Amino acid sequence: MRNNPVRWSLALISTFTISFAQIPVDPGSKAIPLSQVERKNKAPVSDEILRVKIPKPTEITLPNGLTVMVLEDHRLPLVTARLSILGAGALNDPADVPGLANITATMLKEGTRTRSSKQIAEQTEELGAMIGAQAPFASETATFTASGLSDNASQWIALASDILLNPSFPEDELNKLKQRTKIQLQQQRSTAGFLMQERFSRAVYGNHPAAVTSPTLAALDKITPAMLAEWHATRYVPENAILGVAGDITPAQVTQMFSALPAWKAGSSKVALPKATKPASGRQIFLVDRPGSVQTDVEIGNIAINRMDADYVPMVVMDRIVGGGASARLFMNLREVHGYTYGAYSALVARRYAGPWIAEGSMRTDATGGAMTEFMNEINRIRDKPVPEKELEETKRSIVASFALTLERPTELLDYAIALKVYNLPADYWDTYPAKIMAITAEQVQRVARKYIVPDDLQIVAVGDAAKLKPVLDKYGSVQVFDTNGQPKATP
Amino acid sequence: MRIAATAALFAGSVLFQAPFGRLHAQTAPKPLRIPIEQYKLDNGLRIVFSEDHSAPTYGISITYNVGSHNEHAGRTGFAHLFEHMMYEGSENVGKGEHMILVENNGGDMNGSTTEDRTNYFESFASNQLDLGLFLEADRMRSLAVNQANLDNQRNAVQEERRQSVDNQPYGVTSEVLQGLIYDNFANKHSVIGSMQDLNAATIQDVQEFFRIYYAPNNAVLTLVGDFQPADALAKIKKYFGAIPAQPAPPAPDLAEPKQTAERSKTIEDPFAQVPRLDIAFKAPPGNTNDVYALDVLSTVLGGGQSSPLYQSLVKEKELAVNVFCYIEEHKGPSTFNVVVLARPGKDLKEVEKVVIAELEKAKSEPIPDWELQKVHMMERHQTAQELQSTLYRAYIIGEMASIYGDPNLINTRFDKIQNVGKEDIERVAKTYLTQENRTVVTTLPKPKAETAQKGAN
Repeated sequence: MRNNPVRWSLALISTFTISFAQIPVDPGSKAIPLSQVERKNKAPVSDEILRVKIPKPTEITLPNGLTVMVLEDHRLPLVTARLSILGAGALNDPADVPGLANITATMLKEGTRTRSSKQIAEQTEELGAMIGAQAPFASETATFTASGLSDNASQWIALASDILLNPSFPEDELNKLKQRTKIQLQQQRSTAGFLMQERFSRAVYGNHPAAVTSPTLAALDKITPAMLAEWHATRYVPENAILGVAGDITPAQVTQMFSALPAWKAGSSKVALPKATKPASGRQIFLVDRPGSVQTDVEIGNIAINRMDADYVPMVVMDRIVGGGASARLFMNLREVHGYTYGAYSALVARRYAGPWIAEGSMRTDATGGAMTEFMNEINRIRDKPVPEKELEETKRSIVASFALTLERPTELLDYAIALKVYNLPADYWDTYPAKIMAITAEQVQRVARKYIVPDDLQIVAVGDAAKLKPVLDKYGSVQVFDTNGQPKATP
Repeated sequence: MRIAATAALFAGSVLFQAPFGRLHAQTAPKPLRIPIEQYKLDNGLRIVFSEDHSAPTYGISITYNVGSHNEHAGRTGFAHLFEHMMYEGSENVGKGEHMILVENNGGDMNGSTTEDRTNYFESFASNQLDLGLFLEADRMRSLAVNQANLDNQRNAVQEERRQSVDNQPYGVTSEVLQGLIYDNFANKHSVIGSMQDLNAATIQDVQEFFRIYYAPNNAVLTLVGDFQPADALAKIKKYFGAIPAQPAPPAPDLAEPKQTAERSKTIEDPFAQVPRLDIAFKAPPGNTNDVYALDVLSTVLGGGQSSPLYQSLVKEKELAVNVFCYIEEHKGPSTFNVVVLARPGKDLKEVEKVVIAELEKAKSEPIPDWELQKVHMMERHQTAQELQSTLYRAYIIGEMASIYGDPNLINTRFDKIQNVGKEDIERVAKTYLTQENRTVVTTLPKPKAETAQKGAN
């Protein structure tokens, strides 16, 4: 297949975008003139916002409890089916077997009662389909995805159904997968991204199972085919699952092609809400020494809210203002004015348990001190000063207006519908969402910023050249240093 | 507040008709065809329209026929640095205001640079047609960059290099391979360029590059989605019509001397934990029959887990953790690449032998029918996915029009893949996958100096 190496100028920004912020100039602090963002307001802009009604999928519940949602889109001969199974994700791993959910998901396509691993690969790819499952860490959900052409959908859907319902977990394939996974455990420690995720998750989640980010060697050694079969039998149950199908297919065709699903045996119970998380208390600073690093990866944040929280909407607006895109405050300040980084952003993680709000970026080692100052300036600014009216209005407008583009992405539209189920939101939630966004006030933004971004409790993690970074970070508090194996180090 | 007074202009229901509950018989596969209309302004600006009213949105791209192939010694990375300059302000748009205007109005945007072209693209709801056209026209007409802004983006680009190359495992591997496999300077340096050359770039370089390459006659404007062609054309004339043409830029000489002996190099990587083997072969320019045949062969050999390379290296012999096989297609010489992430402790010579043996088979044994069928279905699936968003359609059409002069390749490319026969595959395997045309880069984990330090901890 073709491969086109492309250099992006701005790091791809997700669908969601945000507004502009005036960067306060600090007079006299710099000898070199800074590059200043400037607004001329001369471009022709339509003041109308396309109000989009998010299309609602057809919904069916099977007698075994499986929810099926179908969103028709016949523009292209494509069908995507995604099954989200609550309770089968890595968050539910037994404490002494981290990785069990993940290995089970990966092993589904390594053999069924009637097909070998190789046959599954050959048949899937001959149909031009993609079938696979994953159970990412910190998620309650295992996700089984099958996608392909509508030309031969009945064939690859039958194959996918066999993989989902009749896995055989052959021992030789499990042993091979364990060997590959062990090498990946070693390889992942070479990236700053993994080291960051490992340390930051531990910092904010503490003893909560969401702190786990990787299988362990000991857990891999422990896993047997019987454990996978048991996990599959008890966790892959229809009453905890939602099947979303989008694309060139009708509800009647879904019923016909997924004919194996009504016989999927129900389990014993619905999954309970996961254990609650709470913000880490007291500021902590962690420094991961990654020898050879020419950049520092920084994440700053703490646990904020869950997805059901009434503060979700004001938090979305607050997050966009601070770091939701290439026009948000962090990007404008750290990149466009100071040139410290290729990009700096913030993110809000909200699931059925509370996740963190995070500010993050990567910058050259000797710019880390300046970047830390600006991160803290932006954190203090959103807390201490009401958002100017114009900036707030533009931010809200950007959120609401960006919905129009989602009409091109049927699987994303389906995700909106699935979110209603998973988070138990009212049926008209998305219909009223734009109005909820537009109603947010500067006062609400400041209130949630002050409530969920508490400087004295912030968890700060840096990955890079520890010898150079320790003096920079010392001024933010007591620094704990770790090596790339995740072990504490006495000195950098 | 403006929003309260705004009526809903479009409803999502236009798109999603109520289900009829009837079963379609599985008939002939839907053709993957989109409309292509072409125009040209007097100043040489090429225009491609592809109408699609299924959603109230549009995508726009402007593709300039310039990339790292046009750079000269001492200025590697300049085409990409220049791309960043296009966000630094023009007569009516301030520095950084482009991002603000796009995002505040619910749009998406970015730009990208390759060896062969540089593009800029946005997507919006269809009521913002003027905004997208104006933003692109203003910077094509009147880019205005000062020293502080150049220095600022030089920093941002150097951070981009650190983030994607210098601070990553295997980050420099592809740069080393590119430098080894090609002889012609135009081909052998990377798009991101060297830190030293980025430091050397001046405001005069920016002005020269803009004048030579950012003229309307060196660009293609592509519009895809919900617009009326007559209206859009009138707006394009209004915004772009007065931008003067420039003399045609010089075409870079991309010719490569024939390689006569295998080349190889071993590098040590400070971050890698697992050895990696890159085996590459020089190939002809893209959009030629031989490259389509090599493209099919790459998918046969390495596409998916059923492929011979994956089955043999990863599953049967357990010599590797993963393997990839792909074509890097260029207007100049392309490459056929195999990349293996080997298992630590395995003999890399043995890994290489297994790869070569699989490549050799393609020269003597005809590809089984099911494997060709697999390629066709995988390609059709990929092609359909590439057509999903108006933005990506605008991206690909612009690229095809700029590099190969043929926007219709978005429609005909799949046919060209499908027309590759078994004899073509055997021929290109024999012609290009030879020992004297081979270049091998081995990336080894750098031995840790940590043992000495451990006592001190």
